[in-house]
Amino acid sequence: MQQITQQPSVIRHTRAGKINIRSGNRVSLVLRSTLWALGALTVLAFFFFDYTGFRPLQAIPETLYNLKAMFLEPKLSHFGWGEAAMQVAITLGLGALATVFGAVFAFFLALGAAENLSVPWLSKSIRVVVAFVRAVPTVLWVLIFAIAAGLGSEAAVLGMLFHSVAYLVKAFSEAFEEVDPKILEALRSTGAGWWQTVVHGVVPSTFTYLLSWTFLRFEINFSVAVAMGAAAGAGGIGFELFMASGFYFDLREVGMITYMILAIAIVLEIFSTRLKSRVYSAD
Amino acid sequence: MALLEVNGLMKSYQPGNPILKDVSFSVEAGEFVAVIGPSGAGKSTMLRCLNRMVDIGEGQVFFDGKDVGAQNKKGLRDVRKHIGMVFQHYNLVPRLTVIENVLHGRFGYKSTLQGVLGRFTEAEKRKAFDLLEKLGIAEHAYKRCDQLSGGQQQRVGICRALIQDPKIILCDEPIASLDPNSSKVIMDHLKTISIDFGITCIVNLHQVDVAKDYANRIIGLKKGEVVFDGPSPLLTERFTDEIYGMKTVVETRELITV
Ligand SMILES: Nc1ncnc2c1ncn2[C@@H]1O[C@H](COP(=O)(O)OP(=O)(O)O)[C@@H](O)[C@H]1O
Ligand SMILES: [Mg+2]
Repeated sequence: MQQITQQPSVIRHTRAGKINIRSGNRVSLVLRSTLWALGALTVLAFFFFDYTGFRPLQAIPETLYNLKAMFLEPKLSHFGWGEAAMQVAITLGLGALATVFGAVFAFFLALGAAENLSVPWLSKSIRVVVAFVRAVPTVLWVLIFAIAAGLGSEAAVLGMLFHSVAYLVKAFSEAFEEVDPKILEALRSTGAGWWQTVVHGVVPSTFTYLLSWTFLRFEINFSVAVAMGAAAGAGGIGFELFMASGFYFDLREVGMITYMILAIAIVLEIFSTRLKSRVYSAD
Repeated sequence: MALLEVNGLMKSYQPGNPILKDVSFSVEAGEFVAVIGPSGAGKSTMLRCLNRMVDIGEGQVFFDGKDVGAQNKKGLRDVRKHIGMVFQHYNLVPRLTVIENVLHGRFGYKSTLQGVLGRFTEAEKRKAFDLLEKLGIAEHAYKRCDQLSGGQQQRVGICRALIQDPKIILCDEPIASLDPNSSKVIMDHLKTISIDFGITCIVNLHQVDVAKDYANRIIGLKKGEVVFDGPSPLLTERFTDEIYGMKTVVETRELITV
């Protein structure tokens, strides 16, 4: 072994004087103190609740009874199965509309946002706008569009579309940036233009990711569409859920609708897993 | 005028840290030139200045009478479509088929729309199969590139360069990731191409013996400077020692230009 005569000056030490093997000392410190603070606040919160009128001995059996009615005796009473299927289809339609249009817009915007395909000013501006749109919850966007379009399915689709675009631009542009620069280099060296490089180099390399992100967003948009049916009067199964719970106080119908939504979610999940395994097994 | 002329080429990625310092040489049509030098000498950078895959710092590169540094976007695409490029890591689109990857070499000749839609003529497709046949991988034409061995992928890379109808092919360490057998196959193909098609080849290599076996002419690069430029047989041990900084340093540096 060669003898080390001099400690290289690049070695960093922790406060305890030990050699540090992590680079981000400060980041981990901030992370740890944040977690501790959040934990402490959670515990503290229990001491500040208003417990008047809270009688656990009565509340527990009543809750259990309600849950039993909801989940063990579900039935539809205000509308039939045909109507239910129709309402589910409306909700799926709202989600699909927002997702498909969102994916198309997001594709083009993401090309502008990807640092390896765009120019810095464009990519930065798209990122900033998109981060802002994403930071505002979908429901708020729906309410904002409701000003112009009125509360209803139009505002719901627009709001969902807005948020979907922002979400998918981030996902897509990150996928684009992962494209091996060697592929782009080779295409450019043949004299290929930008669009040709994108369509024949970037798209084939990222297609499976784009597809699975889009489908994931569809799953999200389905549940958002349920919520929008209730909150923004967009119709669909969400609206029926809202009527059953808030209007008729029909726990059994709430239970039935919940099961229907769950069933759809499971079908979507199975479908997306199938899709993924088929697309990836082709790799 | 020679096919390729490089005059006083300088290049630095960061100011004050030149990677290429005053590189000048010219290459006639049909030559097979090997560029040798230790890792970090600037071989890849120099090769990429020739088709402006990296921007030229100072100096000029003339290809086929055109000032490469002075071209606009359109002009640059025109220059590049006549320059094939072969890479150490083949740089194919792994999820596309062999034939699709080969046809990528035609994009320089296409309008944006034709290229985007992937409209290739029957003649182009036939040419692609001919080339695959010539390089012995026609049976893999419909396989995805990531199912091929390194040597086979490199042959696809060569086909992609050849279908460009290039006047010159630039090869950046084409055999550095290959086993000795595949390396020999690839170098033999490059040699055949240069003789049969009369296409000029500039090949970055780090194996001196391979360079001497295949090239008519060798350019030795060291720390961004040309320290040898001459016919392969004249590259004696004295020069390789200097290029690679081994053994005794030669006191008076001699630049042979023949
Ligand atoms: N894109 C780049 N940005 C900054 N430095 C680079 C870049 N490409 C190469 N270099 C530097 O230029 C020098 C020469 O690299 P290169 O041309 O790849 O040499 P070679 O191919 O002979 O090994 C190296 O020191 C490398 O770190
Ligand atoms: Mg190199």
